[in-house]
Amino acid sequence: MKLTLPPGLSAAQLDRALKDFAGVVGQEWVLATDLDRDTYLDHFAVDESGHAPSAAVAPLTAEQVQEVVRLANRHKVPLWPISRGKNFGYGGAAPVLKGSVVLDLSRMKKIEFDAENGVAVVEPGVGFYDLYDYIQQNKLPYWTSVPGNSWGSVLGNALDRGVGYTTYGEHTSKLCGMEVVLPTGELMRTGMGAMTGSPTWNLYRYGFGPSWEQMFVQSNYGVVTKAGVWLMPAPESMLGIDLELENVDDLGWAVDVIAAQRRDGLLQQSPSIGSWLRGAAVLTTRKEWYDKPGALPDDVITAIRQRFGIGWWSISLRLYGYESVNEAQAGVIQKQFEKHTTQPIRITRWKQGEPMNPAPGQAAFAGIPITFPLANAAWHGGRGGHIGYSPVLPANGRAAMEQFRRTYDRYKEFGMDYHGSFAMGERSITNVNQVLFNKDDPEMMGRVEAFFRALVADATEKRYGEYRTHIEYMDLVAASYDFNGHALRRVNEVVKDALDPNGILAPGKSGIWPKRYRSQRA
Amino acid sequence: MTRGNILRKLSVLAALLSGLAAAGQGQAAEALDGKALFQARCGMCHQTIGMAVGILSRRPNDPSKGFLEERTDLSATLVRTVVRTGIANMPRMPRPEVSDPELAAIAGYLSKGKP
Repeated sequence: MKLTLPPGLSAAQLDRALKDFAGVVGQEWVLATDLDRDTYLDHFAVDESGHAPSAAVAPLTAEQVQEVVRLANRHKVPLWPISRGKNFGYGGAAPVLKGSVVLDLSRMKKIEFDAENGVAVVEPGVGFYDLYDYIQQNKLPYWTSVPGNSWGSVLGNALDRGVGYTTYGEHTSKLCGMEVVLPTGELMRTGMGAMTGSPTWNLYRYGFGPSWEQMFVQSNYGVVTKAGVWLMPAPESMLGIDLELENVDDLGWAVDVIAAQRRDGLLQQSPSIGSWLRGAAVLTTRKEWYDKPGALPDDVITAIRQRFGIGWWSISLRLYGYESVNEAQAGVIQKQFEKHTTQPIRITRWKQGEPMNPAPGQAAFAGIPITFPLANAAWHGGRGGHIGYSPVLPANGRAAMEQFRRTYDRYKEFGMDYHGSFAMGERSITNVNQVLFNKDDPEMMGRVEAFFRALVADATEKRYGEYRTHIEYMDLVAASYDFNGHALRRVNEVVKDALDPNGILAPGKSGIWPKRYRSQRA
Repeated sequence: MTRGNILRKLSVLAALLSGLAAAGQGQAAEALDGKALFQARCGMCHQTIGMAVGILSRRPNDPSKGFLEERTDLSATLVRTVVRTGIANMPRMPRPEVSDPELAAIAGYLSKGKP
């Protein structure tokens, strides 16, 4: 990719900044060739060129991050921090603002482990595989919680509110104690870490006075250079409860049953109720099933379900902990489902001492890192891509069914194959809708943008907001949070300007624009 | 555990150490362990149940079943190019994640000496 400059910066100015960056990190870790720039593009994006960076700089330590940030202020160069850059479906390594310099933290891979308390203090470059390997190698009695694409960063995923499959799957809530380089280059620690040498930095979340940790999540207020992550003690037993829902309308009662289990604490993990395409898109390609345009018709859906032995929806619940407790809970859960369905309920059991060799589809429930779900981007053939639209709904079956109907109709209207799931939170549902596409099919690509915007408009009309979005749509989604004339966005930007007067850190992230670039808002 | 064999752990550690050494001292490519680096940098998608194994194994008439290490038709140039430019479902990998000397070692390992 040829050089793209950020607004208001000349090539000579950028060049001077890069020379200064090299003085901090070494010439080898300033990456500014055409090929280097390409390696930070969003591989799965609808349009890669819209978010092209001008260069990247890869520090190794928090001190180097501080120096680079100070220099970026001096040269007025916008930085886009990434942990490992694997935020696929949300932008990968690419910046919102074209021409930003990627601050690549993937070389920062230190792990400190507090085995007594079950806390890993990780730097941004530590991937889920790295942490898993570390735990195995040191025979530590803890399990990781991993997302469907575990190639990425433990810290980066938690900072974007990514999720996993175990009871520790709400990753952002497992963060405890951060070290942050502020946009001026100053270093701070949150919570108890504000007390020098505190032994409870990574054990007690709030500290004294206001607690700022979520301020650094999905924001552009600082570069988190390390943070504590709580890990689940290796359970005595894991118990699986799986069932298939035959009819599309079964979603309603199933959501109500699980919502109650989440509310009263019977179920501590967040199960996802997924539609029939989930497995098929990973294991097969579309042309094996159907060779015509338009959404897959019902007879093809039936054929897919028959081959994989799945329902319209599939549910997997997991219990972790003491065997006797799990058994008791499972008994109650099973009875609650049996009030609504005669479908067989599959119970699986594992306990400490038994070999752990889960089938691929089960690995993530045991906290074993995986990447295979990403194969779904190859569903259409050609260069695959995907984006997700994920509004948050109230946790009730009526809301879920209405949202499903509306969304399914939109998929059919735009000729796209439905790929939806409903992840059950404690009081809410995250309705993840994946849009799979083929970048080599211009006709299909012509539909994707309008389709995505229709999904946002539909959900916004119902006053449902998205929990996380792709860099291309951050302004669109931020605009939907509109109470009192976008009061929240105004506050976000007052804070932004106070902390980052030169507007150098991740302009446009989550729709937050610093004064310098505010005219860039889409 | 599936990924829990000791051999793998040791080689991951070795790869990390050798990677750091290479990064720090500009060590020559031939001193790096291509196999260990392949495991550490590429194994998540190209070994066991990885994303790429699944996709590549769908190809007809390929006896490797999607495992790059079993293939005999890879050239070093192809490996180096694909890692930096991406291909199909595979995203590009920047140099801080796989340095040029590391990539050369991985390419040498997978190509079994073919340039």
